[in-house]
Amino acid sequence: MLQPGSAGNQPLTSIRVLDLSGDLGVYCGKLLADVGADVIKVEPPGGDTMRGTGPFLEGLQSTENSLHWRHYNTNKRSITLDITSDSGIVLLQGLASTADVLLETFQPGHLSTLELGYEHLSEANSGLVYASLTPFGQTGPYRDYKGSDLVGFAMGGYMYVTGWPETPPNKLWGLQAYQTTSNRAFIGILIALYHRLATGEGQHVDVSMQEAVATTTEHVNTAYNYTGENAVRCGFRHGGQFVATWPCKDGYVSITTNTAKAWDDLRAWMDQDGMAGDLMDEQYNDRFILRGEHGAHIEDLVEAWTLTHTRQEITDWGQANHHPWGPVTTAGELLENEQLWERGFYQEVAATSEGKKLVYPGAPYKFSESGWQLASEAPSVGEHNSQVYCDELRLSADELQALIRAGVV
Amino acid sequence: MTDSSALALKGIRVLDFTWIHAGPSATRILSDQGAQVIKVESNQALSVVGGPASNTARGLGQRHNWNAGKRSISLNMKTDAGKEVARRLVAVSDVVAENFSGRVMPGWGMDFENIVKIRPDIIMLSMSGFGRTGPWKDRVSYGQTLQAMSGFTDLTGFPDTRPSGPASAYSDAVGGMTGAQAVMLALIQRARTGKGQWIDVSQMEAMSTLLGPLALELSANKADVQRTGNRLAHGGGAPHGVYRCQGDDRWLAVTVFTDAEFSALTKAIGSPSWASEERFATAESRQSNAEDLDKLLESWTLEQNAEEAMHLLQAASVAAGVVQTGKDMAENDPQLRERGIFQQVPDAAGELRTIEIAPYKLSKTPGEVTKDAPEFGVDQDFVLGEILGVDDEELAEMAIAGAFD
Repeated sequence: MLQPGSAGNQPLTSIRVLDLSGDLGVYCGKLLADVGADVIKVEPPGGDTMRGTGPFLEGLQSTENSLHWRHYNTNKRSITLDITSDSGIVLLQGLASTADVLLETFQPGHLSTLELGYEHLSEANSGLVYASLTPFGQTGPYRDYKGSDLVGFAMGGYMYVTGWPETPPNKLWGLQAYQTTSNRAFIGILIALYHRLATGEGQHVDVSMQEAVATTTEHVNTAYNYTGENAVRCGFRHGGQFVATWPCKDGYVSITTNTAKAWDDLRAWMDQDGMAGDLMDEQYNDRFILRGEHGAHIEDLVEAWTLTHTRQEITDWGQANHHPWGPVTTAGELLENEQLWERGFYQEVAATSEGKKLVYPGAPYKFSESGWQLASEAPSVGEHNSQVYCDELRLSADELQALIRAGVV
Repeated sequence: MTDSSALALKGIRVLDFTWIHAGPSATRILSDQGAQVIKVESNQALSVVGGPASNTARGLGQRHNWNAGKRSISLNMKTDAGKEVARRLVAVSDVVAENFSGRVMPGWGMDFENIVKIRPDIIMLSMSGFGRTGPWKDRVSYGQTLQAMSGFTDLTGFPDTRPSGPASAYSDAVGGMTGAQAVMLALIQRARTGKGQWIDVSQMEAMSTLLGPLALELSANKADVQRTGNRLAHGGGAPHGVYRCQGDDRWLAVTVFTDAEFSALTKAIGSPSWASEERFATAESRQSNAEDLDKLLESWTLEQNAEEAMHLLQAASVAAGVVQTGKDMAENDPQLRERGIFQQVPDAAGELRTIEIAPYKLSKTPGEVTKDAPEFGVDQDFVLGEILGVDDEELAEMAIAGAFD
C-alpha cells in the first residue's frame, strides 16, 4: 500500500487499484497501471464484455483477440468475480480492504445496494480513494440518465462546434469523451493519493463525463460567457480563421498564419509563383483578414496555390521560417512518424501468431526518473485468480475450486 | 472549507513560465488544489491569449479561465537582474513549468541541468509540440498543427466531406491534462523518494496515445482506416448519430446498441410501423440498414423539441442527449447548474468573471478558487517582499538593472 517514503521504481509502484470499470473508466485504469500501479481488473465470470469489441487481431474474434481490450488493459492483472453474489461481495470487500484505489462506472448508487459503496468500503479502509465515473455525476437531476461517448460529447458542448456549417454536428474520431473522462478522473485520483500520502485519509472522487467534456472545449464556454454569442461550427477554420487546412497536391496541409510574418510569407510565396492575385495589396495586410468580407476570395486564391504544391514543400517552407505548419497525416501514414519512433514512443511487441509485431502507443509523458512502462500486455480472463485469491487473499486451492464451481469466480 | 488540510497541494509553489493554452490550463489545475502558482510574465511579450493581456473578449475569457487563482509578476528575462530573480524563485519553488520552444529556457540558463543545481529536488515540467529530443525537437506547432500531424484532423469528419478536425485545440486541452498528471505523478514520486525530476511532455505523443487501439490495428491488420462521421469505427450501434429537431440548428444525439435499447426507443416514440420491420430486428441488421434507420428516426425528431425528446427517451433508459451550445450549458442545463460547473469570481474592478470548475468532485479536498486571473505584474510586492524578502534598497537596484522592464 501507499506509504510516505516507500520508494517505488515507478511513481505508483505498489499502489493497488481495483478496476471495476467499463467504457468510461477502463482508460483511467490503464493510465494508473502504466505508471506502476498494481491494477486488478475485476471481470465477471466468463470475461468482460469489452473483449467482444473490435478491431480483432487478424480479424478473428475471441476473448483474447480484441485489440480494443488489449490496448485499454495493458499492465493490469485479471481476476473473475461475480460481485452480485453474496460470497462475491464478501471477497470484494476483502480485496477493497487491501486497496488504495477503487475505480467504478456503475449507475450512481448501484454498488451501495450491494454494500460495496464508498460509505461501506471506507469503514474498513479509511484511506481508500474511491473513484466513481458516470455520464452525469453522482448528484443532480440527470444523475440516472444514460450516456455514451456520443451523448457525452453532445451534452458537454464539444459536438455543436465540430464539423462544417452545412453538416450535422460531429464527434471527434475515436472515444474522446470516454477518454477525457478517464483523463480527468486520473487527475482527481492523483490529487487524492497525494493528500493520502500526507494525511492517510482517503476520499470519494465523483467524475461526470458531461463536465469532463465541457471543461475540455477551449472556447465554447468562454465564447458564450464573455461575448454572449455561441461558438459555431466552422470546419477547419478554428474560430479565429487564421488557422486552416488546405487541399494540396498529395492531401491536406495545415497552415497557421498566427503572426503578421507568417501571413506575409504566405502571400510572398504565392506571389513568387505568380498566384497571389491581388493579395499583395495593402488592404490585405491584416493577418486576421480571413475573417472578414474578403474571406471567400482569399480562400479561393490560397487553395489554388496550395493545390500546386505538396504537403512536404509547404511544411518545409513554413518550418524553416518558424511557422507552425504541418501535413495532415492519414491513418495509413501514422506508423511512419520518424519523431515518434526516434523518441521511443511506439512499443513493438511480438504478437502471438506468426511472429507478427503489434505496435502499442507509448507514454503521454517522459520522465527523467523511471515513469511509464509497458511491462505486460493485457491479461487473459481470470489469469491471476490463483495469484490473487490463494497467494494474496489466503484462500486454499479447494476453496477457490468451490467458488469456481459455484460460478462466483 | 477553511481547514488547511482540505487543500491537497497547500505548501506547493509553482514557478509558472507557461503561456497560451496548454501550459496555463495545466497549472490552473494545481492552483485549484491550493498550490501557489506564480505566473512569470514579461512586458516584452504582451497580447498573447493567456499571456499578460488579451485583445478580444474571448481572449479575456480564456485568460480568466486558465489563470484564475494565480499570482503574476513581471520579469525581463533578457537582463541578468531578471534572471537572478528567477533563480532565487527557483530556490524556493517545488515545480517550474514552461512551454516555450526548446531554445528559450537553455538560453536563460534555466534548463533542468542548471535549475537542479539551485534546488536539488526540483520538478520541472517542459511542454512542447514534439518533445525536447528527436529530429523534430525544434519544429514549431499550434494546436491545429498537432491535430493534423497526429492523425486527428484527417480522421474527424464525415466520409463524404473534407476533414474538419477538432473544432478547438483539443491538443492543448490534452496537453494541459497530461502536464498536470505528470506533475502530480512527480510530486507523489518525490514524496516517496525525495527526488525531483524533469518531465518532457510532447503534445504530439499525448495526442497519439488518444488514438486508442489504432496503432495496434494498423500494425496487426494493415487496416485502411477512414473517417466515420458519427458512427463508431468498431463496436457498432444503430441508431448512432445526431438527429435534427425543431428549431434552428437543434440536434439530439441518440445511441442504441442492444435489442432491448432499440425496443425501448421505438416504444417511447409511439411504436411506428417501421419499428417491427425485419431489417431492424437485430443489432447486425440495424447496422446494415443504419442509413434508412437514421432517416426514419429523424422523421420523428424533426417534430420534437430537442430537450423534451431527450427527457422522453431517457425516461425509457435510452442514451440520448441534446447537442448543447455554449448558451445551453450556461443558461438552460439544470444538471450543470446543480453541479456548479461554472463559478463567478470578482476581478480587480469588482466585475464578476465566469470560470470553469474542475470536473472531479473530491469529497475531502474539493479545492477552491478564490480570485480571478491576476492583472499583469500585480503581485510584484508580494513575491519580491514576502517570498524573497527583498528590501527596498535591493528592489531599487533590481529595477535600475532592468529586472522588471
